[in-house]
Amino acid sequence: MKTKSIAASFLSAAMLLGMTACSGGGANSASDTAPAAGNSQAVSSSAAKDAAEKLTVWAWDDTFNVKAANEAKAAYAKIDPNVKVDVVSMAQNDIVAKLNTAFESGNVDGMPNIVLIEDYRIKNYLKSYPGVLSDLSDVTTPDKFMDYKLKTMTQDGKIYGVPFDSGVSCVFYRTDLIEKAGFKQSDMQNLTWDKYIEIGKAVKAKTGKAMISVDPSDLGLIRMMMQSAGKWYVNSDGKADIANNAALKEAVTIYKKMQQEGITITASGWDAGVAAVNESKVATSVNGCWYASSIKKAADQSGKWAIAEFPKMSNVSGSVNSSNLGGASWYVIDKVAGRDTAKDFLSKTFASDTGLLDSLCKDISLVSTYKDASSGKNVNAPDAFFNNQKIYKNWIDWTVNIPAVNYGTSTYDVESKMTEAVQSILKGASIDDTLKNAQTEVEGIVSAAD
Amino acid sequence: MKKKKSLSILKYFFMIIVSFISIFPFLWMIISATNDAREITAVKLTFGTHLVENLRNLFHSDLNFGASLGYSTFIAVITTVLALLISSVAGYGFEIFRSKARDRVFNILLLSMMVPFCALMIPLYRMFGAVGKTGLTGIGLNTLISVIAPYVCTAFLIFFFRQNTKSFPKDILEAARIDGLNETRIFFHMYMPVMKSSYAAGAIITFMSSWNNYLWPLVALQDPQKRTVPLILSAMGSSYTPDYGMIMAGIVIATLPTGFLFFMMQKQFVAGMIGSVK
Amino acid sequence: MNSEQSIAAKQITSDFRTVGGPHGSSRHTLEKKLNRWGWGFVSMSIVLISVFVFFPMIAALIMSFQTGKGVNMHFGGLTNYIRLFHDQTVAKALGNTFIYLIFQVPIMLILALIISVILNDKNLKGRTFFRVAIFLPCITSLVSYSLIMKNIFSNDGIFNQLLSHIGLSPILWTTDSFWAKVLIILSITWRWTGYNMIFYLSGLQGIEPSIYEAAEIDGANSFQKMIHMTVPLLKPIILFTTITSTIGTLQLFDEVQNITKGGPANGTVTISQYIYNLCFKYTPNFGYASAVAFIVVVLIVFLSLIQMKIGGKENQ
Repeated sequence: MKTKSIAASFLSAAMLLGMTACSGGGANSASDTAPAAGNSQAVSSSAAKDAAEKLTVWAWDDTFNVKAANEAKAAYAKIDPNVKVDVVSMAQNDIVAKLNTAFESGNVDGMPNIVLIEDYRIKNYLKSYPGVLSDLSDVTTPDKFMDYKLKTMTQDGKIYGVPFDSGVSCVFYRTDLIEKAGFKQSDMQNLTWDKYIEIGKAVKAKTGKAMISVDPSDLGLIRMMMQSAGKWYVNSDGKADIANNAALKEAVTIYKKMQQEGITITASGWDAGVAAVNESKVATSVNGCWYASSIKKAADQSGKWAIAEFPKMSNVSGSVNSSNLGGASWYVIDKVAGRDTAKDFLSKTFASDTGLLDSLCKDISLVSTYKDASSGKNVNAPDAFFNNQKIYKNWIDWTVNIPAVNYGTSTYDVESKMTEAVQSILKGASIDDTLKNAQTEVEGIVSAAD
Repeated sequence: MKKKKSLSILKYFFMIIVSFISIFPFLWMIISATNDAREITAVKLTFGTHLVENLRNLFHSDLNFGASLGYSTFIAVITTVLALLISSVAGYGFEIFRSKARDRVFNILLLSMMVPFCALMIPLYRMFGAVGKTGLTGIGLNTLISVIAPYVCTAFLIFFFRQNTKSFPKDILEAARIDGLNETRIFFHMYMPVMKSSYAAGAIITFMSSWNNYLWPLVALQDPQKRTVPLILSAMGSSYTPDYGMIMAGIVIATLPTGFLFFMMQKQFVAGMIGSVK
Repeated sequence: MNSEQSIAAKQITSDFRTVGGPHGSSRHTLEKKLNRWGWGFVSMSIVLISVFVFFPMIAALIMSFQTGKGVNMHFGGLTNYIRLFHDQTVAKALGNTFIYLIFQVPIMLILALIISVILNDKNLKGRTFFRVAIFLPCITSLVSYSLIMKNIFSNDGIFNQLLSHIGLSPILWTTDSFWAKVLIILSITWRWTGYNMIFYLSGLQGIEPSIYEAAEIDGANSFQKMIHMTVPLLKPIILFTTITSTIGTLQLFDEVQNITKGGPANGTVTISQYIYNLCFKYTPNFGYASAVAFIVVVLIVFLSLIQMKIGGKENQ
């Protein structure tokens, strides 16, 4: 009886397949008949080996790093016209999800040759999946790039990436509003957070506007403050550093004080933050330099903006007027066919081409961490939107002073825990106790990631 | 009498409010497709003049929205056809003759609905990766099979068809059996035509979830040329400076197929659902 | 996915009650034959579901006892489960999920029931329009509907602008953890009320109008009819929608991920979303993620059993 019923099931299965897979060839042929979309090419590993002269690059912002990759592609086409470069734009979250699954399962089929990875995330990939990313020590010349950036992509003395953009922090501020509050642009130089809050209170009193917008789910401000003192959620050995981290404690204190003084508005998510700036709801934004493109969206505010150095924390020794937020670098996935071409591509574009980097400065406001890029024509040009301030030059000067820190393996896990901790501190919980509890949880995260 | 009248006015008032709340986001979506990003952020509630521009941006962006429409349609149609066939066969099979053992098996299959998909994804990914490595490249990762296969048979649809089968007139079955028709013939020549409205309801539900599916296509299809519509929309929304006018135009277009399908089949849909709750 | 998970578990209840069939022993051979055909017809789906759900599920269970990275995972005993009990985000996610469950499911089902009773009135003008309008939200693509919701309920979105027009102060929908939960509840209700309404409507169409007419003659008002007649008559469907909505809510992911991303400060995070974060947003830790996933499985099975017990008892 068993055999008969199995036979019946196969029969019905075969009938179904015959009816639906119109090709009639059963399972295997389905992928060939697939794409109604004409231009899909299956990049299985064997196919890629046959055509080593094809490179795929993944990046995530059409107006920024994707555009940069496309300009690099154009530049490289003049060097080696035989290589076909395919630049793919994808959501950053989607890239991370794909990298996580591929690396975790040890299967890199369909992965690109070159991928842009955020500096906060790279340490984990280097540590957890050794050998997955190519050693680029022969592509990236250490003394050509800024130190703090190289540190993020160095593991066991080898450099695994080619730096892309600087995330140097600054205060973007509305000169008109600051002046209305009774301060001059000179007051914005060499800021401390105390001074910043004082100005903020005046701005609030005189103009009714908030000084800054904050997002309860994003502790970018606190991260920048920590890094200005050379600290992070983890110490240089990668161990949790929360409870006894004076810089973190002071940063949280400042963060809380700003909210208590009423100089903040809350804005949840990226768009709300941009809207607050574009619609003149805030007088300043403290952010990475890449935020400039969002500020420039409000064309009617042209000429009203200026930038100043990141404020330092006067109560923390070692805190300087320079920090960093975000930033990313290019990496080569080792096992994907075409590795050497990919390395060649990077070495002749982002790792050395000052002309390319200078035109990217104009086209996408790129602030490079390539030292020689600082002499470029566009880098030294004034920017009309920022009242003819030489913003790129300023940013590059400040980048030099960014304290190097070890971002560790788990920035985003830790950040998520810390948002909870900071919220309860804002609601009145004791800072010391909350940070102490957070320490235990963060230790758990960090040790699980090791 | 008076009380009755005021009650009925209240009824209409309630229904109009509820309908308005349900429809409003749609209206707003359509209006937004004609405005530019800044007008959308500033909540402009009137039709604008940017529709053509938004559509042009949409179809000319590097993300290849047009191709993704074709690809999504292809995946959704194949998934729907396969899922309806396989699940209705099973639904029928569970109902034509029921034994204790088969009911137990059915309950076990139902358990499969209770596992969050997130938890299955990594093992599934590894499984397809391993199969691909064996040389059967047609069914490894990054193939159509890998996107479609996990969805061609869901406990939900089997359950749905089994419930519907209960309303299938038993005497027709008996008569056909006496005439010597075997079950396969009965299924294809009698069951399927009679159960049209169940198929319609099942088709709408399956097509909808396949069309909107995000997580599995995201990890299974690594080749960016093979992206489905939700993946493209997600990529558009993640820019540092998202163009909401273009995105809204994309959303309107992405809603058309499911909307069209529902309007075409809504009578049968309600009828099909009736079967499932009997 | 949600819609698929949704309809279902009613069968579990009915199966406990109706096992076997009304077949006599005289037709033994036919029975045997049909039994074989039956197994043949269902075997394909047994194979598919085993391969694509049960096999990965067992793999995930094994993984939940493992620690380590990538291809170098190794047995870690109860490490993941121990971490689970100290993880405050798990506690928070469980708390949030239960809040959604306790408030959202009843609100949505009662609303769906009221709407379907009104729609079932043959004298109501524009029934088709209302029905289509109310069902419309559930055919929207998730990405689109979340973008729309985010836009409408942003701190200076259209809803708050309306509030300020009538002199009320704006509500911080996305930055206050209480209101963010309210927003999630509103969104799910908006999207799924029409879906559940269709089930009730279908059920109501099977009820003889004469029953109501008799009650009307006895002087019963609308409310009494609803409580004493409609609800008991629709009981199996109500139980069914309750169980499916419970499963849907316990696995809630899409809405939260797309509307609030779990924020502010994990104020709206759910278990499924935490699993997603552990795999795809944070440093990937699939072993731990699998352990978290199994809490959901256990919870769903447990709650479904309770609901069936309650539903089943009153039925007898």
